[in-house]
Amino acid sequence: MEAKQYIGEGWKHAILIIGAIVVMLPFYMMVSMSLKSQQEIQSISGGLIGAQETQTFPVCVKTGYSEETCTMKPYQYNYWFAFEKAPIPRYLMNGVIVTLSIFIIQVLVALPCAYALAKLRFYGREFVFSMVLFCLLIPVHGIALPLYVMLAQAGLVDTYSALILPWTISVFGIFLMRQFFMTVPDELIDAARMDGMGEYAIVWKVMLPTAIPALLAFAIFSVVAHWNDYFWPRMVITGNRDLFTPPLGIREFRGGIDSDEFGPMMASIVTVTVPLIVAFIIAQKRFIEGITLTGMK
Amino acid sequence: MHNSKAHIWFIAPAIVLMIIILIFPLFLAGGISFTDYNLGNKTFEWVGLENYDKMFNRKTYVKMIWATATYVIVVVPISVVLGLCAAMLLNSLRFGADIYKTIFFLPVMATLLAMAIAWEFTLHPTLGIVNSFLANGCGGVREFILGFHWLPWVDSQESWYAVACANNMDFPYWLKQKNTAIWTVCFIGIWQAFGFNMVLYLAGLTSIPRELYQAAEMDGAKSTWEQFKLVTWPMLGPTTLFVVTITTIRTFQVFDTIEILTKGGPSKTTYVMMYAIFEKAIQQNLTSIGAAITVVFIGFILVLTFFQRYVIEKRVHY
Repeated sequence: MEAKQYIGEGWKHAILIIGAIVVMLPFYMMVSMSLKSQQEIQSISGGLIGAQETQTFPVCVKTGYSEETCTMKPYQYNYWFAFEKAPIPRYLMNGVIVTLSIFIIQVLVALPCAYALAKLRFYGREFVFSMVLFCLLIPVHGIALPLYVMLAQAGLVDTYSALILPWTISVFGIFLMRQFFMTVPDELIDAARMDGMGEYAIVWKVMLPTAIPALLAFAIFSVVAHWNDYFWPRMVITGNRDLFTPPLGIREFRGGIDSDEFGPMMASIVTVTVPLIVAFIIAQKRFIEGITLTGMK
Repeated sequence: MHNSKAHIWFIAPAIVLMIIILIFPLFLAGGISFTDYNLGNKTFEWVGLENYDKMFNRKTYVKMIWATATYVIVVVPISVVLGLCAAMLLNSLRFGADIYKTIFFLPVMATLLAMAIAWEFTLHPTLGIVNSFLANGCGGVREFILGFHWLPWVDSQESWYAVACANNMDFPYWLKQKNTAIWTVCFIGIWQAFGFNMVLYLAGLTSIPRELYQAAEMDGAKSTWEQFKLVTWPMLGPTTLFVVTITTIRTFQVFDTIEILTKGGPSKTTYVMMYAIFEKAIQQNLTSIGAAITVVFIGFILVLTFFQRYVIEKRVHY
């Protein structure tokens, strides 16, 4: 029995390891290419990190740098040249600006509404809630075209507003927060009212602190979705590099697959992809919780 | 009790935004789809169902429906089943489950666009490790396994692998060939989606009470398969329904991989709806036809979700 169980366990690991290898394949390729020299990439040699021989890079010399500056190890060159070629920090900053603005506005709109729906009694509450439920069915990517038409008519294409505005309302956030506030005891709110707190103060000073765990999960959900989103920025940002979010930057690095140097290109892609992945590995549990929250997207 | 009018200020912003951003566009898309309006035009005319007529009769759009349907029908079942299998394997593991879980969840997290480019290189005929792995395996075990030579009806001289080996390592250019492109894109879709389903299934599995398995064993369900049929599968009903709906909706919206890898080609075999909307309405400025596709697209999704919420939901709950 014992031996049989070990064999069974071994088989499972064998299957899972093959699966893991397939899953990791593009990650391996990405990291490996960002470290190796062009020749090693083209001849598929050098394993993960390549030989790392110090050499002079012709493309760099052609761009106008002195031969001395262009002599270094492949991994240094790839990452250095990536930052020389494209304003990567700018793209990352745009990503931060857009995702944070979206999240903050979403919370500013959703939290009071969720509180009203959960804890205040007023005429039309049921109607508002069913409106929220209906809006949950609408895929925002699906209505991208009419939204684009509206933004174009308002002259907002190629602005930060275009990137942020359509996402300011998160019906999912309202729904989630409402469900959460339902579990907060009424006594807490009554006590706050006794102390003379107004409804505004209650929302921000009583409800917000109790909602931190749910809010954190929602934050991860929202930030990951918008950091990775490519479709919407691709629609509304046509040429202005200053507004590029990380995925648009990635698209730009790619250039022509046959003409470019692959090392620096992959180095830029790694740089842009890494922040989220590192955050994920550090706070795995939170991330999985946040993203699978209900998977509404 | 409170008598303030605070609630008006609390719900007003949300209601206004819901109407402007979510509800109005539905009507706008519907309206535009019956006109010949293109962005930038001063005037437009009502053309009735002309745009829809084009959509269901022109070859391009018929291919679009095919490509979308193929993608959804392939990716949804496979990624759901793989997610379930991975979850059950991990659940029965003595050690190491957390590591696999992290690895399988990575694709869900990573920027899909970046990963699409990484796959492009991985599958590239001269630069990629996949084709070089295949080429190095000619005549060996890899050829035997991946060429399906172990199946009795496959002739070891005629399998796709053997033919490619014989023709000077002529392995497919996965993303550029008409007969492989859609399947390759599907593969990337499955690769990205199954980890998400796995996590949902893992949550579902932990909520099944242990006693049910003991009861099943007493009833004579000894083998793993019998227990799966009798306990696990029925208990996972609600999870499965949810996973299938979510995956379908997400799959319908595939765009990133198509835009960066195939641009709908070769010969429109990967021309999915979201990409069609983007190409027609944004790149070619044919707003009205894009609106018609949008309406059909939203129609699909609304029908699907309604189906889940109000029809099946009542039956799967035990």
